[in-house]
Amino acid sequence: MSTVDRAFGFTSLHRVGVSVIRWAEDIGALTLQLWAAIWKIPRVLPVIGKRRRWTDAVRQMLAIGVSALPMVSIMSLCLGFVVALEGAAELRRFGGLQYVVDLVVIGFTRELAALITGIAVSGRSASAIAAEVGTMLVTEEMDTLRVMGLNPIEFTLAPKFLGALITIPCLAILSTLCGIFSGYFFLAFSIDMNFLVYSREVLESILLRDVWLTLIKSVVFATIIVQVGYLAGLRASGEPESVGRATTIAVVRSTFLVIVADLAATSFFYLMGWSAAG
Amino acid sequence: MECCRVTHSGAGAGEPVIVVRGVSVSFGSKAVLNTINLDVCRGEILVLLGGSGSGKTTLLKQILGLMKPDRGSIYINGVDITCCTSAELIAVRRRLGVAFQSAALFNSLSVEENVAMPLHELTELADSTISLMVWIKLKAVGLTDAARLYPRELSGGMRKRAAIARAIAMDPEILVFDEPSAGLDPIVAAGLDDLIVFLKRTLGMTILVVTHALESAFRIADRIAMLDHGHLIAVGTKDEFQASTLPHIRQFLERKSDFRAAEGNFASAYLQEFMHEH
Repeated sequence: MSTVDRAFGFTSLHRVGVSVIRWAEDIGALTLQLWAAIWKIPRVLPVIGKRRRWTDAVRQMLAIGVSALPMVSIMSLCLGFVVALEGAAELRRFGGLQYVVDLVVIGFTRELAALITGIAVSGRSASAIAAEVGTMLVTEEMDTLRVMGLNPIEFTLAPKFLGALITIPCLAILSTLCGIFSGYFFLAFSIDMNFLVYSREVLESILLRDVWLTLIKSVVFATIIVQVGYLAGLRASGEPESVGRATTIAVVRSTFLVIVADLAATSFFYLMGWSAAG
Repeated sequence: MECCRVTHSGAGAGEPVIVVRGVSVSFGSKAVLNTINLDVCRGEILVLLGGSGSGKTTLLKQILGLMKPDRGSIYINGVDITCCTSAELIAVRRRLGVAFQSAALFNSLSVEENVAMPLHELTELADSTISLMVWIKLKAVGLTDAARLYPRELSGGMRKRAAIARAIAMDPEILVFDEPSAGLDPIVAAGLDDLIVFLKRTLGMTILVVTHALESAFRIADRIAMLDHGHLIAVGTKDEFQASTLPHIRQFLERKSDFRAAEGNFASAYLQEFMHEH
């Protein structure tokens, strides 16, 4: 055993330790930040909170939700068509082409709508939030807020959080509708299915419970995107290029966590018996 | 750490408003501030002079309560901000106005909205009263024409003026400036110096200016304090400063560099010789 080997062993152990500590630190910071943000939500609400915060929240809804509308709907239309196409190729062999409807409807209400919305918004907004917060930190705007005796969480995080909590579930619903419409589009072209027949099939296979699960998931994703983006922005330090790094970190982490949370939520619902096919 | 309250009851010229006692700060093993003792008296302009890396920004952050010192206490109006409650800290900060180096204007708000922001957030004044107060502050800094412009449309000097208008919006007793003339041409910088003196004369504010600009220090200061590598090496009036024989002060006043070329390096040895000859 040479000293080089031992030194290498030490440094890799050291590196693992450092990254574990960093992850633990980030999880702790995220929890504290989430807790603080939840307590500040009432200050943003229309009647009981401050008028200016609500105006901010509306502006955030436009930035996070409304401007993501075209992207989310086009992505859902494409994905719905692909699911129908791929499904039809297999199901035709069993003579069960009508099950394409169930495939699209169940696929979107339970899983794809929330996931595609989460990923799209994560790419657009987590980076935007990190860039905005990082810039505010570099230009001393955060210090200004603190010196004025104002709470940066209430000013910058809470309106974004509320905006995302309201708009992302709406986007998920829109995504479901687009996906289902895209399924009709495919079937109308391939087997001339009537819209009324398709609608009846959809109504038979859609379950209110599944829609609720999608909404819960999208609320979880909204939380992840805003909180991870904000924390990444806060970790930007001093020099301007750290803002660029923070935006990359925000997108990578929030997309990763959205997919992990999707797995966790789906397994949880499955274990609780809420998502077994009815 | 011992926690106590020094009470200065009643107002009177010359009584200390900001009292720094034995403040030490280190980042890791590097000492940034060593046992700093400094008084800023009511109604004076104290200029904190120091080169890059002298610790002046760190001291400023301690005084604003943005960072906590490792040892020592800082009293503002008799309240020890290193160990007071957050409510007390907020009360202290409301009587303190700060103009940061980068101006730190909120980019999404126009100049008048920036100035109005602390009034909207921290007081219950009617909108008409606030707009009148904003106009008075903008008039004081000579920015009434630019009221509706956004920070990105302003020049460097106008941004600093807007930041000053916001800092005086709440009629603070103490004003703090971080590098007011950094990055400005001499005429604009001189204009800002005159504005600072004007504010002191007309509004009777206590002003602390942190800077490395010698000309502006001599132009505005009642007293000058000099920081060097974390030590407060001198405090005195302008005349005492100009008559000082302390080597570092002489070096600073005469703008002598402490550049020493590395030995054995031909190019730098040549450079040194060249500089010696000329």
